[in-house]
Amino acid sequence: MVPLQSQVLLPERIAGLLGLSGTVGQIVGGLLGAFLIANLLLVQTAIAGPWAKRKITAAFTDRIAVNRIGPFGLLTIVTDAVRLLSKELIIPEDVDRPSYDLGPLLVPFSALLGFAVIPMGNGIHLADPETGLVFAFAASSIASLGIVMMGYGSNNKYSLLGGLRAIASNIAYEIPLVVTAASVVVFTGTLQMSEVVAQQAEPLLTVAGVTIPQWFAFVNPFAFVLFVIANLAEVGRNPFDVPEAPTEIVAGFQTEYSSVYFVLIYLGEFIHIFLGGALAATLFLGGPAGPILPGFIWFTIKIWAFYLFTQWARSAIPRLRVDQFLDVGWKGMLVLSFANLALTAIIVGVIA
Amino acid sequence: MSEWIAIGALGLVAVGIPLGMMAVSAILRPSVPEQGKRATYESGEVPTGTARVQINIQYYMVALLFLVFDVETVLIFPWAVIYRSALEQGADLTAVLLPMLIFIGVLVVGLVWAWRNGAVEWVKSPLANRQKTERNV
Repeated sequence: MVPLQSQVLLPERIAGLLGLSGTVGQIVGGLLGAFLIANLLLVQTAIAGPWAKRKITAAFTDRIAVNRIGPFGLLTIVTDAVRLLSKELIIPEDVDRPSYDLGPLLVPFSALLGFAVIPMGNGIHLADPETGLVFAFAASSIASLGIVMMGYGSNNKYSLLGGLRAIASNIAYEIPLVVTAASVVVFTGTLQMSEVVAQQAEPLLTVAGVTIPQWFAFVNPFAFVLFVIANLAEVGRNPFDVPEAPTEIVAGFQTEYSSVYFVLIYLGEFIHIFLGGALAATLFLGGPAGPILPGFIWFTIKIWAFYLFTQWARSAIPRLRVDQFLDVGWKGMLVLSFANLALTAIIVGVIA
Repeated sequence: MSEWIAIGALGLVAVGIPLGMMAVSAILRPSVPEQGKRATYESGEVPTGTARVQINIQYYMVALLFLVFDVETVLIFPWAVIYRSALEQGADLTAVLLPMLIFIGVLVVGLVWAWRNGAVEWVKSPLANRQKTERNV
């Protein structure tokens, strides 16, 4: 298939700006581009975690939340960062040291790594391998490993239960997620992220002079709904926050973590939510496409819309019981996702 | 190839940023060693025994199912990639579609078998089952 558009990726552009070329340019450009992308995400997580989450939950429960420091309480982010990082790190007795320490490192690592292949608009796109879509799923799955390490390493019964529940949820909902993504691949015929986005820019139909693009959320809304629900379970948010379940098992796998480890786990979870939103946006909502505003702004709006959705669900939907949770995954989502894939293939086959 | 250099660079940054945060925290935070607070949390009680115990992990069968379906998703992707272009190049619909439908069908039969055998059910402990029957009587 001929590429619809040849885009300059971020590392090449940075290397071009610095006047570097060859392998040195690739390495320097890659490192600077990666640093830029990681910081974009850190800034968004900083806003989402200590500030937006409180404000959104407060709005749902008719409270005001943080408003003392800075405009709208925004400088709370700075004070909270200092506060959390300057907490004493308490390492409990008999923890399994390498595993206890590596777990919190793996969670943000996996979520950040997934963003390598996400096109964020305005040329902010670190890498565009042919297997981009599968790479994003693979990278985001590494987080499960970190969660097992935390659950086992903590030497705490709540942590162990939380870790096991996290694995149960990840294996139950990962297949619906990936199979639903495969039903999009049936349309695109490629796994390359830039191609997936480019194909969605083509017009679907024109209503009263307004051209509606071929976003796969419009082409196959059923798959979009399935994907968002499975995504919600993958990032472990209500009604699927069984792994943490504060009213049942304290805090699940993160019970024994304090100070910087706590920050790292939360950082990883928030970046994971953004990665889930980014995958949904790229696969179903045209990636960074949108009218008037520049692409990066649209991309940010889309991932924040997904973030708002997770927080809305957190405030509005009660948690499923753990056995119901697995039932929904194995008996509901899995069957529906395979039905979706088979029907998509049949319909595409009959129309094409 | 340059793509994987950039991805590797992001991998380095994704390790470096957490390590940097840990370094900053190590400078900022106090250290007040004390025996009591190092106990693991068990709702304020003194912890009983270790957490490295044998427990019913409930989803052993489900984990086996997951292996089957996860391998299946890997095999679905190559088919999904070529499906549409194969049709556009004039391949017969049944030749492209039917094998994959049969493949999925075989696995769905496996899922139905596991479902009917209760492999995806939440296993109740004998104690909970006994209490339930006693209550019903």
